[in-house]
Parts: sequence; C-alpha cells; structure tokens
Amino acid sequence: MPDIALQRSGLSRERRDALLGLLLIAPTVLVLGAVIVYPLLSAIALSFQSVYTPTLEGHWVGLANYRELLGSGGFWAALLTTAIWTVGTLTLQILIGVAMALLLHQNIIFRSLARSLVLFPYFLSTVVAVLVWRWLFNDLYGIVNHGLMAAGIIDAPVNWLGAMPNAMLSIMVVGAWKFFPFVVIAVLARLQTIPEALYEAARIDGAGPISRFFDVTLPQLREVLTIVILLRTVWDFKEFDLIYLMTGGGPVNGTRTLPLIVYQQAFGLNQMGMAAAYAVSMMLVMLVFMLAYLQRARKAAA
Amino acid sequence: MKKRPAWIVSLVTWPIVLLIAFPLLWMLITSIKPAAELFSTSPTLLPKAITFEHYARVLQDTPFLQYFANSMILATSTTVVVISISVLGAYSLVRFAYPGRETLASLVLFTYLLPSVVLISPLYLMLVSIGLANTLASLVIAYTSFALPYALWLLRSFMAGIPQDLESAAMVDGASRMGAFIDVVLPQALPGIISTALFTFILAWNEYLYALVLVNSDEARPLTTGVMTMLISAFNIEWSLLMAASVLMSVPLIIIFAFFQRHLTSGFGAGGVKG
Repeated sequence: MPDIALQRSGLSRERRDALLGLLLIAPTVLVLGAVIVYPLLSAIALSFQSVYTPTLEGHWVGLANYRELLGSGGFWAALLTTAIWTVGTLTLQILIGVAMALLLHQNIIFRSLARSLVLFPYFLSTVVAVLVWRWLFNDLYGIVNHGLMAAGIIDAPVNWLGAMPNAMLSIMVVGAWKFFPFVVIAVLARLQTIPEALYEAARIDGAGPISRFFDVTLPQLREVLTIVILLRTVWDFKEFDLIYLMTGGGPVNGTRTLPLIVYQQAFGLNQMGMAAAYAVSMMLVMLVFMLAYLQRARKAAA
Repeated sequence: MKKRPAWIVSLVTWPIVLLIAFPLLWMLITSIKPAAELFSTSPTLLPKAITFEHYARVLQDTPFLQYFANSMILATSTTVVVISISVLGAYSLVRFAYPGRETLASLVLFTYLLPSVVLISPLYLMLVSIGLANTLASLVIAYTSFALPYALWLLRSFMAGIPQDLESAAMVDGASRMGAFIDVVLPQALPGIISTALFTFILAWNEYLYALVLVNSDEARPLTTGVMTMLISAFNIEWSLLMAASVLMSVPLIIIFAFFQRHLTSGFGAGGVKG
C-alpha cells in the first residue's frame, strides 16, 4: 500500500502541478471567455444579421451588411479620416515625445517637478482633457483666440472646432497633448540605459551634438520607437472618447472616424448588425498592426 | 557626457513644460474666477478676485457627489475583482506548465489591443438580457473586458522578474506550492501588484464609452458621463462650473500621481513597452 501511494504521488507530481496551474488560471479563462471571447464571436455573428437596437429583434441577412458597407462611401471616407487622424496625431506625439524626453533627460533645474507636469496629461481622464480644451478653443471667450489676437497672429476669432480643416487639426493637437507622455516615459527609460561610452567615443571622433543624436541616440532608440509606434497606432486608430467628445464627428462628418460610425450605427441609427459589420471591418484593418506588435512583444518576451 | 550648465537647458525646457501644463493651469484658474471675469473681453492670466462659489455650487446644486460616489465604488470594485483574478492567473502563466499556456498568453496580449467598440454591442445585449442594464455591476463586468487583459499582462511581466530560487527554497523547507506563493511570491510581487492596481483604478475611473452605453440614470452614472451630462443639460454652458467639476474629478488621480508616481512609471514600462 505505501508503495503504491508513493508511486502514485511520484507519478502525478507533474500532473498535480499542472492541475494546480489550471485551477489558478480557471477564473481568468472563465471571465475572459464571458466578457471577451463570447462577445467577440457574437459581434462577428451580429455582423451577418439585421438587428433593430430598441427591440433587439433580428434576422440573418448574410453578407448584405458588408456589401452595403463596402459599396457606400461612408466606410471608405471614415477609413481615410481615421488614417489621417492617426498619422497626424501620432506624428505630433512622437516628435514632441522624443524632444521632451531628450530635454527631460538633461540635468535641468527642478527636473522631477518638470517630469511630473509633463506626464500628468496622460493619466487625466479624457473627459477632463476635452472639457479643458473645448474651453480653451471656445470661439468667443477662449484663451487661444484671445492670445492669438493679442499677438496679432489672427484678426478675427477662429472657429476651431466647427469648421474644417480646423476641427481635424484641433483634435490632432489635443490627442498629441493627451498621449505624448506615453512616448516620453518609454523613450526616457531607454535613454537612461544608453552607455555613456558610446557618446565618449563619438565625441573623440569629433561628432557634434546633432550628429551624436543621429549616430548614437537615434539608432539606440529604434527598437523602443518601433514598439511605441505600433502600440500607439492601434490605440489612436480605435480612439473614441476624445473625438466623440471634442467634435462628435463633425462638422458634417469631417472628423467621423470608424469607432464613431460603429457607435452611431448601433445607438444612433439603431442598426446593431450594421454596427457590428463596421466594427469587424475596422478590426480587420487594425489586425495588421496588432499582429506586428504581438510578434515584436513575443520576441521581446522570449 | 560633459555636464552643460543646467540653466541653459532649463531656460529652454521650462517654458515648454509650462506651455504643456498651461491647459491644466487654466482649468484651475477658471474654476476660481468670478463668473463676470470669464466673459471679459480682455481676460487676465491671474484672477482679479478669487472665489470658491463654483465649487460650492458643483457640490450642492448638481449630482456631482452622487457621481463621485458611483465612480469610487465602480473603480474600487473593478480593481478588487480584476486584481484577485489576475494575480492568480499571472502566477499560473509564469510558473506552471500545461498545454495551451502560450496560446493563452498570446490571447491575453491580443485582447489587450482589442477596440472597445467591437465588444460594446454584444456586451450591451448580454447585460440587458441578464437584467443588469443600468447598474454599477454591469459596468464592473464590462470594465473587466479591458482591465483584466491589461492587469494580466502587467503582472505577468512583474512576476516573471521574480527569481524562482526563493520559491524552490521554501518548498524544499516543506512549504506547499500555495504556501510558497503566499509567503514568498506575493510579498515580492507587491510593488508590481500595487502599480497594477493603481493603473486598473485609473483606467476604470476614466472610462467613458461603456458608461455612456450601459447606464442612463443618475443612480448608477459615474463621473465621466455624469460631468458631460452637466455640460449638455445646461442651457448656457457654465465653464467655471465645469472647470470646478473637472478639478474635483481629477483629485483622486492627483493624489495617486503625487504619492505613487514611481509605481506608475515602472508599471508603465513593464506593461506598455517592454511587452
């Protein structure tokens, strides 16, 4: 008897371990299944149906939603708008982010206070950011118009959010302000690990500050910047709150990106099936960047 | 590197820092300016007189405190639920061997990038059908859809950094696997758990889209949609009121930021960038 018991526990040691592992992951799997996998599959199923949101009654329509979506100009226009928004705001985020990281890496006065002030917008609620910026951009009493008029740059108040292309430029600026700290934190962390010897060697070779940046700093930042750009592309592409609250997609759909159309279809036009078709199409476009990031992240983890 | 005199760089950097911080400063200034000064044709940078009437009105005449309480309950519950599940899950992903583990880890990372608008309609249908629409519980459930993958990914990279030797030593000394987890792993992972919890809290505190779709009564409305309701329902947009509400709404974040900034930046690197 003791022999068998010993043998059994000896045999099942690895097995028991695996079992405990599965037990620990079980809540995660259950919850992820319920709030992500099941809804994701339902979204795909919904996209082949026509569902009226208030009654939630629906029937299968096959590929009709996709045919309508690809045939209408709305999808392509929104895709273009989303691309313009993403490229515009991301470019600003990267340029300001890298520049700020380089400055905050220097030995400046009250450095930690400066860092805190620069990082804070990232942790702020988008609702607060939007309220503040809508007040700054207010056409009659906003400080932006007052300031620019006092400086003689403009003669009359500018309509920042109600006209194109101003509205698009304005949301790009707000997006840059809200999200550039992400770039700062990532780049700053990397800058601190670049060996001082590399700069010494460059200096001995007679490199000035500008060529030191391009020959030493930038190549060292390449990897972190690639990951940051991929992540931020995905996040900016799917941004809903900021654009919806700044302009609501207007003026006349001028800033209506894909996430806004999804919301509009589902809860404005009550076409839940159509909304799902937009959402799935949008996800397919994003998949390129998501997979590129996944591959990089897995490689970094390995 | 040759140490440049700090003041030259400072002279360049600080004006830019102040420019970046200006919108927040302006929010603060607007919230303490008398209403009359707001609509002056030549606004001054500093208020001529300071008033706290807008704060008093936000607290007394609007459902702000109700929203605040809702947000507090919502963000705290989400954090507790998500952290309890993800601490166990992340430990399992890091330390145990079983089939499907790698696939699961990839799936977690994938869900971390998934747009909320894809899940919103099915989640809405699901929560309506189980009768939870218009409750804080429905929001806690919806929030786990983005907070759980995030927390798992963050904790996973924190736990992967804990050396396995200590655990093995404890088990050689007779501790059970779970005993070693509680006595050895948890204390070591504590900084990571704190920063993950703070991030989860901030994410839940700031969430807007699910709250917009799933809740339309003041009893369950959190601050994000609540404060926007104040903007829409007001006949004349009262900016000083909204700025006061914005400041109050940011207070918990300022507190977290002031005391735990180190935790935030370290968690940020682990989850966001290092991958």
